[in-house]
Amino acid sequence: MSVTPALDLRGIEKSFGSVTVLHDVAFSAYPGEVTALVGDNGAGKTTLVKCIGGIHAFDAGEYRFEGRPVRIGSPREATRLGIEIVHQDLALCENLDIVQNLFLGRERRRGLTLDETAMEEMARSTLSGLAVRTMGSVRQRIATLSGGQRQTVAIARAVLWDSKVVILDEPAAALGIAQTQQVLEVVRRLADKGLAVVLISHNMNDVFAVSDRIAAMYLGRMVAQVRTSDVTHRQVVELITSGASGELGLRR
Amino acid sequence: MMKGGPSQEDIRRHNLGTLLRFVHLRGPASRATLAESLGLNRSTIMALTADLTAAGLVREELPRGPGRRAGRPSLVVRPESTRVYVLAFEVGVDRLVVARVGLGGVVLDRREGVRARGSDPAELLGVLVAGARALVRKAERDAVCVGATLGFPGTVRRSDDTIMFGPNLDVGELRLGDALSRRLGLGIPVSVCNDANLGALAEHERGAGVGCDNLIYLHGDVGVGGGIIAHGRLLGGDEGFGGEIGHMIINPGGRLCACGSKGCLEAEVGERTLLAHAGREESPDQPGRDAVRAVVAAADAGDIAAREALQRVGSWLGLGVANLVNVFNPGLVVFGGTLRDIYLGAAAQIRSVMATGALAAPRERVKLRTAALGDDTTLVGAAEFAFAEVLADPVQVLTRLRAPEAVP
Ligand SMILES: Nc1ncnc2c1ncn2[C@@H]1O[C@H](COP(=O)(O)OP(=O)(O)OP(=O)(O)O)[C@@H](O)[C@H]1O
Ligand SMILES: [Mg+2]
Repeated sequence: MSVTPALDLRGIEKSFGSVTVLHDVAFSAYPGEVTALVGDNGAGKTTLVKCIGGIHAFDAGEYRFEGRPVRIGSPREATRLGIEIVHQDLALCENLDIVQNLFLGRERRRGLTLDETAMEEMARSTLSGLAVRTMGSVRQRIATLSGGQRQTVAIARAVLWDSKVVILDEPAAALGIAQTQQVLEVVRRLADKGLAVVLISHNMNDVFAVSDRIAAMYLGRMVAQVRTSDVTHRQVVELITSGASGELGLRR
Repeated sequence: MMKGGPSQEDIRRHNLGTLLRFVHLRGPASRATLAESLGLNRSTIMALTADLTAAGLVREELPRGPGRRAGRPSLVVRPESTRVYVLAFEVGVDRLVVARVGLGGVVLDRREGVRARGSDPAELLGVLVAGARALVRKAERDAVCVGATLGFPGTVRRSDDTIMFGPNLDVGELRLGDALSRRLGLGIPVSVCNDANLGALAEHERGAGVGCDNLIYLHGDVGVGGGIIAHGRLLGGDEGFGGEIGHMIINPGGRLCACGSKGCLEAEVGERTLLAHAGREESPDQPGRDAVRAVVAAADAGDIAAREALQRVGSWLGLGVANLVNVFNPGLVVFGGTLRDIYLGAAAQIRSVMATGALAAPRERVKLRTAALGDDTTLVGAAEFAFAEVLADPVQVLTRLRAPEAVP
């Protein structure tokens, strides 16, 4: 593969006290692609994502961002590189409106002061570039939005700030089907704009609908990273439940 | 010295069309951007813009919106969206839409209604005419209608727009375009096209397929339609009947199809089959799209019958797509109409069948996407089709239409 991965992790080890949660984990995500990160409950997906995002420090391993070795000591450093994580408990402020949420903490940038009208306009065009259906006024408070709309706002924040990598940890878990489908389409569009997107999901239809690659974890190990076009549903389920499927996965 | 090459006039017409097409599809652009994108020098751009401006097709003005930088902003060339428009008609099994679409692709106004299955075909024409008239009345006084196209789920002969076959929808009139054109009395012909062919065009020009010159669009209404774009053009075949992917036989001796054959893709994955597998009735008060969505939602919520129905349909759809991938090597396959919902609800099944059924080489790179234009693929495609003439020869067409008395 000649394309440089946006994220490239190797040999990641992570323990909480005496419990080792990640063993020798390798993981890559490429620009323009959706990489689905799958695995059973407790496999270590969220922990891996928190290591990528600088929330957890890992104990050993290599971390490359766009080919360069980096050390990420805090979430702020990850954000500065262009890594945006949409956690399941969305970090949006309920009592603020959409525009305020999108610009939170970044009202000033590179010495440029943005006025309200410009911020509204940017919010509007970013959102309309993402969602098929419009969201109504960008001055609505977050508390008045549906789950799917909130996800879209969280994702829009990543787009607005020119992120390189967007990681979504189970974005669809609390959503109804129509909203889930809309979020999936937004996720796909995000990757088609050239971002590297990582999607954690337990729903195999969602995974197969939008992903280009599937990374499967089993008991803290990365057992396979494959192209979605090369595998079947059954193989992926086997990787998730037993860590191996035929030639793929753990050697026994 | 080149002999028999294009004349000055041909070149100018071509350049006018190219410039207009650029701002029509990509939006307002500065002269500098146009010069760079079209590979023409600035003075040529200036002359072309002047001609198009004089014809009332574009206007130059200051850019709108934010992002104003220091210094004087340069003017942008903007299509005259409210003054130059087309009429787009969509006749679906469950809905009728008429829209007035401005140059640049803006839907200026639309009328939409549900169509009852089995409603009297004789009434159809009247409804379409009334809708279109209402839209035309609301247009600006100096606005000009430059084309009209109707999309519907059936087979149409390209040479004379005669409807040859449309088993899921009786429109009561084989020369629907002529009849509509006569009743409208705007002095423009109304083209009739297959809905999925228009969908392919729409997704190629304005949707998921922008920049992809080899794509396949699959459209689910009651039946299943298809449109194939090869080398950037719609593949019509000898007479315009091409692209009937819904009647590709994937299960010999399988379910009976509305076309009389057995085991067509449409017969195995169409709405009626999905509902039958799920043990549901076709209901007069739930339009097909909602019925399909209800099955997908039920499957997601754990309903076993719905889940199995989707898996069966997903397998056949995966097989159909595997064949298409092997034959056409598309860069992109787009799922629209009810197939959007079926794709999202059965993607694991569909892609698993593809992984084992399609050749590795063409399978590796093919992108599978849902329609970016949502429910408006047919409508947007109809508008694009209707704009084709003015984009091919902008000034000539406008001159003719603005002086109707000169036309015999
Ligand atoms: N802060 C922590 N301290 C101790 N153990 C932890 C901590 N965070 C996670 N773990 C453990 O690490 C393992 C992996 O958890 P993680 O949340 O990464 O799983 P996951 O793959 O995201 O699962 P799920 O699909 O349920 O979200 C689990 O056994 C969990 O109990
Ligand atoms: Mg988790």
